[in-house]
Amino acid sequence: MSALLEVTAPTTAIEPKRAWRSFLRHRMGLVGAAMLAIAVLLAVAAPLVAPYDPYAHVRVNILDIYQAPSAVHPLGTDDGGKDVLSSLIYGARVSLIVGFAAAAIALVIGGLVGIVAGYRGGWIGSLLMRVTDFFLVIPDLALQIVLVAIIGPSLGTIILVIGALGWTTTARLVRSQTLTVRERKFVMRARAIGAGDAHILRRHIMPAVLPLMLANMVLVISLAILSESTLAFLGLGDPTVISWGQMLNFAFDRGAVSAGAWWALIPPGLAIVWVVLGTTLLGTALEDALNPRLKRHHLEAPGTDVARDRVIPVHDAPRVADATAPILRVRDLSIEFDAPGGPLRAVDQVSFDLHRGETLGLVGESGCGKTTTALGILRLLPPGGRVVSGSVWFNDEDLLSLDGRALRAFRWTHLSLVFQGAMNALNPVSPVGDQISEALRLHAPGTTKAAGLRRAAELLERVGIGRRRANEYPHTYSGGMRQRAMIALALACDPDVIIADEPTTALDVMIQAQILELLGGIARDFGMGIILVTHDLGVVAQVCDRIVVMYGGGVAEENDAATIFRAPQHPYTQQLLQSFPDVAHPDRPLRGIPGAPPRLDAMPAGCRFAPRCPHAFERCPTERPPDYATDGGRAACFLIDPAEARP
Amino acid sequence: MTGALLRVEDLVKEFPARSTLGAWLRRRPAPPVRAVDGISFELHAGEVIALVGESGCGKTTTGNLLMGLLPPSEGRVMLDGEEVGALSGRGLQRLRRRVQMVFQDPYESLNPRMTVAEIVAEPLRVHRVAATRAELWARVTGALTQAGLTPVDAYLHRYPFELSGGQRQRVVIAAALALEPSLLVADEPVSMLDVSIRAEILNLLSALAREQGIAVVMITHDLSTVAAYADRIAVMYLGRIVEHGPTREVLANPRHPYAQALLSVVPVPDPSARRTPVILRGETPDPSRIPTGCRFHPRCPLAFDRCPTVDPPLYQVGADHQAACLLVASGKASPRGLA
Repeated sequence: MSALLEVTAPTTAIEPKRAWRSFLRHRMGLVGAAMLAIAVLLAVAAPLVAPYDPYAHVRVNILDIYQAPSAVHPLGTDDGGKDVLSSLIYGARVSLIVGFAAAAIALVIGGLVGIVAGYRGGWIGSLLMRVTDFFLVIPDLALQIVLVAIIGPSLGTIILVIGALGWTTTARLVRSQTLTVRERKFVMRARAIGAGDAHILRRHIMPAVLPLMLANMVLVISLAILSESTLAFLGLGDPTVISWGQMLNFAFDRGAVSAGAWWALIPPGLAIVWVVLGTTLLGTALEDALNPRLKRHHLEAPGTDVARDRVIPVHDAPRVADATAPILRVRDLSIEFDAPGGPLRAVDQVSFDLHRGETLGLVGESGCGKTTTALGILRLLPPGGRVVSGSVWFNDEDLLSLDGRALRAFRWTHLSLVFQGAMNALNPVSPVGDQISEALRLHAPGTTKAAGLRRAAELLERVGIGRRRANEYPHTYSGGMRQRAMIALALACDPDVIIADEPTTALDVMIQAQILELLGGIARDFGMGIILVTHDLGVVAQVCDRIVVMYGGGVAEENDAATIFRAPQHPYTQQLLQSFPDVAHPDRPLRGIPGAPPRLDAMPAGCRFAPRCPHAFERCPTERPPDYATDGGRAACFLIDPAEARP
Repeated sequence: MTGALLRVEDLVKEFPARSTLGAWLRRRPAPPVRAVDGISFELHAGEVIALVGESGCGKTTTGNLLMGLLPPSEGRVMLDGEEVGALSGRGLQRLRRRVQMVFQDPYESLNPRMTVAEIVAEPLRVHRVAATRAELWARVTGALTQAGLTPVDAYLHRYPFELSGGQRQRVVIAAALALEPSLLVADEPVSMLDVSIRAEILNLLSALAREQGIAVVMITHDLSTVAAYADRIAVMYLGRIVEHGPTREVLANPRHPYAQALLSVVPVPDPSARRTPVILRGETPDPSRIPTGCRFHPRCPLAFDRCPTVDPPLYQVGADHQAACLLVASGKASPRGLA
């Protein structure tokens, strides 16, 4: 997968290596891990590092009680005349043992409940989840106090009680992850292979669930430590062991406050904070790295989408617009994405013009930069993406210089967007007509509600849905109708240019034909320019006037549609056409293009297509070909350099 | 020719409708969804058949029935004389070794946490077919070689995210080949891939059929991708096969109005091709409310008085070529396919 895809299409599963990298980027997580590691080390090495053994029986000397910190007792002494530092170090043992053991119990119970509920589903699943809900709503602490008081405070009891009450979040988390993985295609494929439940659970469900459980465990540990401290502080700790809560309990009960012995109170308090903070930081970081649900969606909150030091082509001052001038001029547009190894160039020096009433096809394979170009023009790049040079002229206005407010005003009134997957682009809780009317009124504030709805009905009529359905919700629409509704929405403010990104890709051929017919009609009737971004040459052949073929982030060839299909000049265009099936000529052998498109992080130095090109010669791998004029267009290939004799 | 490898006889699959509160209150149970409504065909070893139709035509359900992933409501699927739906336990396990599936989405159908070697070895482990490690390894490398992932060493230890879409689909195919199946069901095997990669995957599948005698059922909505690869085409509409015949025959001389329309809207990479696309209005009806008579009549541009009442069977219209249309039976149909 190209790096661009990684940026724009977050996968639902996190690969191990990537999770590790993502964790390392999380500084707070590393700090948390270090804090926890120090506590664990001290606990393990307690007999070696503690200056005294707090469990040793010594006669209490009245003068030893609440001694202030000194060289002999760095943190002073407690109510029993014991060294606070030593108790603190030994106390870490109890806190951590309770934390880990209780978390292990919670994890086993929660994991089992979650997996069974998620994998089996049905009434068993429902029953288990209702039980989980029950445990979730009862107040933990009160129940813990009651249970420990009844059973009697021993370390084992405390661990059991905390563990037996702390599994609910784990169960819910594991269930939802199991449900997600169970529905995934690779699990279905495993079933088709003939794999049984045991195999699927072991090989497919567990590996996906365990990392989440690990992250969750760290958080459960911190809660367990907190619970233990609370219980001990309330006097329900195991009286035979030293824990931090216990230390606080004794100090409070036995006059540390009135004796002004802050050293008996603050260190155990800080120790609790230290470990809980450490585990929480670590747990949050792990969860971030391992839980795919918490990843940001790429359409959320774009960052700075145009570099401050963008290079603006000098030869391209705005001209006076006349009727024949292009409405949209893209000049030397270059777009980069942030990546760990330095920025990657996804779009490189792309230029083209769009006239009124013209349909321009932006064609190429996935990763060629066609969608990124379209998003760059619209200034809707995903986070990490940036226009680093070039300009986008709309008449005589540079879109890339507009600020946020001007851009928003511009976007729907002059330039609108129809994208793939119309299912997700309509708001499910509001009728389609209302949504169109709302978009309209947002951009034309004077419009009344009635006028907006009237116009919405007209638009729906125009796209073939019929005004009767304006009051219906998107879920009652079929896929094709939703795409029509999206087109109506794009038309709402009577824009001059529509950018349609793969508008028919997920649709059936008959519906695709309907939508293309509609788009063609709109371009004709409204005289607007349409940029059609697609990988499908057949679609392009049907509706486009002009075609820009992209490869590896750059323009390989541009010409009018008829010439491109009749006499392609660039070897990539030629090969792309040969690999496209044609029902009219079923006997023509199809040839794929061997090799794969270049990765963004390994772009060839010379011609981007050279490694796959059958005609490549010595210039190709070293020199980047400029655009050469062809009959009616241009192509970036040395074969048509007039200086080269045609082979 | 010897007997068919796969025989599908009057296959029907009904799904119970979801009972909604409204239906329950009105005491009127919702009608069941008849996804597959009586289809029959045969497939010989080494043959490629394409089930073509739009979403909702029942092609994917048919694929799942062939795989034994769903039990049929009526009719049966016979593989080498054994009834697929009647098998359970060990018998079903044995069947699964002979029928394998290639899925649409190579990005989703591979477990991201497993390496290529583990993925291809998985079916062998599930069925415990390899007695030794060496044998397991030999079969894994063999399957990868057949799927065109060579040199094998370069792929064995890679994770799916390190591979391109085409390479992933080859891994899916290799995993299917590992068990040496006699039937491959490929559900939209190339629709998620780039055009330049599609040809290679399709070439691979047809080579497997030709050279190894594997029978292939290709399920697709796209007539153009199967044009050069399928031996026969079965066009489906609302759970029925409405036209069935040799690929060249069906493409050159489609007889059912639906097949004609479907063919006329397939995008052709040639802007100068002057065609008159027959764009059908509306969309495929809900399979829980199949129209009376000919199920295509509400959208048919050629429908006449008898169509809403008579449900046409498949009429023979040529050697091995059938179409379910009353016009064909009465000899009125005017072939309008692409020359």
